[in-house]
Amino acid sequence: MDIERFISSRRPQWQQLEELLATADKVPEWELGAERIQELVRLYRLTCSDLNQARSATANPALLGYLNELAARGYRFVYRGGGRRQPAGEAVRRFFAFEVPAAFRRERRLVLAAAATFLLGAAVGFAAVLEDPRNGRDLVPAQFFTESPRERVARIEREEERIDTVEKALYFGASLYTHNIKVSLLAFSLGALTILGGYWILFYNGVVLGAVAGLYLLDGVQLFFLAWVGPHGALELPAIVFAGAAGLVAGHALWLPGRLSRGAALRRALPSLWAMLLGAALILVVAGLIEGSFSQMTAKAVPYALKVGAAAALFAALVVYLFAARRGEP
Amino acid sequence: MSAARRRERVVLTPEHVELRLVPAGLASRFLALLVDAGVILAFTAMLAAALARLPWGIGQALAITLSFVLTWAYHLWFEVRQQGRTWGKRLLGLRVVDGHGLPLTWQQSLARNAVRALDFLPVFYGVGGAACLLDRERRRLGDLLADTVVVQEARARPLSPAALGRPRQFNSLRTRRVLRLIRHRIGLAEREFLLALCLRADALEESARYDLMEEVGAAYRVKLGIDDPHLSGENLVRDLTAILFSDEARLPALR
Repeated sequence: MDIERFISSRRPQWQQLEELLATADKVPEWELGAERIQELVRLYRLTCSDLNQARSATANPALLGYLNELAARGYRFVYRGGGRRQPAGEAVRRFFAFEVPAAFRRERRLVLAAAATFLLGAAVGFAAVLEDPRNGRDLVPAQFFTESPRERVARIEREEERIDTVEKALYFGASLYTHNIKVSLLAFSLGALTILGGYWILFYNGVVLGAVAGLYLLDGVQLFFLAWVGPHGALELPAIVFAGAAGLVAGHALWLPGRLSRGAALRRALPSLWAMLLGAALILVVAGLIEGSFSQMTAKAVPYALKVGAAAALFAALVVYLFAARRGEP
Repeated sequence: MSAARRRERVVLTPEHVELRLVPAGLASRFLALLVDAGVILAFTAMLAAALARLPWGIGQALAITLSFVLTWAYHLWFEVRQQGRTWGKRLLGLRVVDGHGLPLTWQQSLARNAVRALDFLPVFYGVGGAACLLDRERRRLGDLLADTVVVQEARARPLSPAALGRPRQFNSLRTRRVLRLIRHRIGLAEREFLLALCLRADALEESARYDLMEEVGAAYRVKLGIDDPHLSGENLVRDLTAILFSDEARLPALR
């Protein structure tokens, strides 16, 4: 085979394919039209066969590299996913109305495992502090020990540091949820890459929460604790658990794919991960906004019973949203 | 086989053609990330300036939210809607593709970027960089999870004899006898091979290049009956290639 003749006879087709692909990158598929797409597919197949021919005839790296690149571009266009297009608004509505709850129910085993790990941690932390309050110092990060729970409650009730305007609440809320989303992404990543790391971080977060709750209980200010942590905690803590559970789902696909190949197991887990992570992020945004405003209200503004009641209601709403079947579900 | 070759991932298309994906190296990925970080920083600064006119709390809340969204959505958007290339990657000729050589889906891109939080630790992609170095296909943890690869696209280098450079002044192969043997014994495939060898010689490591040139030279010493002991393997190969591809000595039998 004469390579130079081969190149000069095929070059027009390759260039045509290049041009078509460049156009296809820029304009949507419907604008490209059936004719041009058929032409593109035809040229792509020709280029594939040219690549095979060239491989058997020459080791010329520039030619092979060029054809490999061109064929890869064509391959990416011809075999790209896509599927049905929905109007964006409808897609978002369906996603949050159906796909997010469906994913949580599909992965309920690992969601339960994550929640159980977290609760176990909380129980351990709580019991350890009740057993001996000095354990609290080992379990809870040192920055929480600038004052005793009772002193803290007294200071806050005197309203020395207040979040009293919508603006402050918004600012505080935004800082909170961006931070929380980052933390939950970390929990997700750890679980996904190591499985055990995911369980550990859930357990540890549970221990800290349990220990702090124990310390407030020992100081006799448990109602305050429930009223100040409850309203956002009812959403925030489940969201962290959900992100951790998503990490476990990913970790199982990565390390325990069973009879599937690792790539296939990961691809099968992707819709769940997508829905669980976005669901957790949404919940964290709502929780952050509550934490920045409602959670910060003192007993003078809102009776604590109301705050605790609101916390219970929010948690119930979350459980109903995620785990109760609904009408119109596909 | 160079190291880059061994690392490449081969994808078999339905047409039964092997496409080769060459994983990008750590350095080029790092540079691309720097560019992207700069772009995100610039946009964030512009955003902050634009929102400064709003009342303090609302402006701040919006700025925090939007810069957060920008930081994460930047990668997602470019990976899915711009064929796997952020501005940094485009600049460096990199592209994120899925393990089968296809474009990323939104779901894959999210999984890949969610792990960015871990890859970024402890400072600017320490974990990701270490993972990159350990992995055969230079994947960071996010790539591992989403089954994606960052590939280096081939730059379109014209492989022409012009790139051979000036031939040596005295070419001892230019005798009637050797020219006749070249015409009869060196086929087209070999001609291509010699050209490719000469053009890529500079990219080879010194000792590997010496060994290879000596080995190839020895074969042609026999084939062409050359017994000049002072002609090194590399010079022999280069002289031979110069004859094969020089215009004045076009060998009619080969056209």
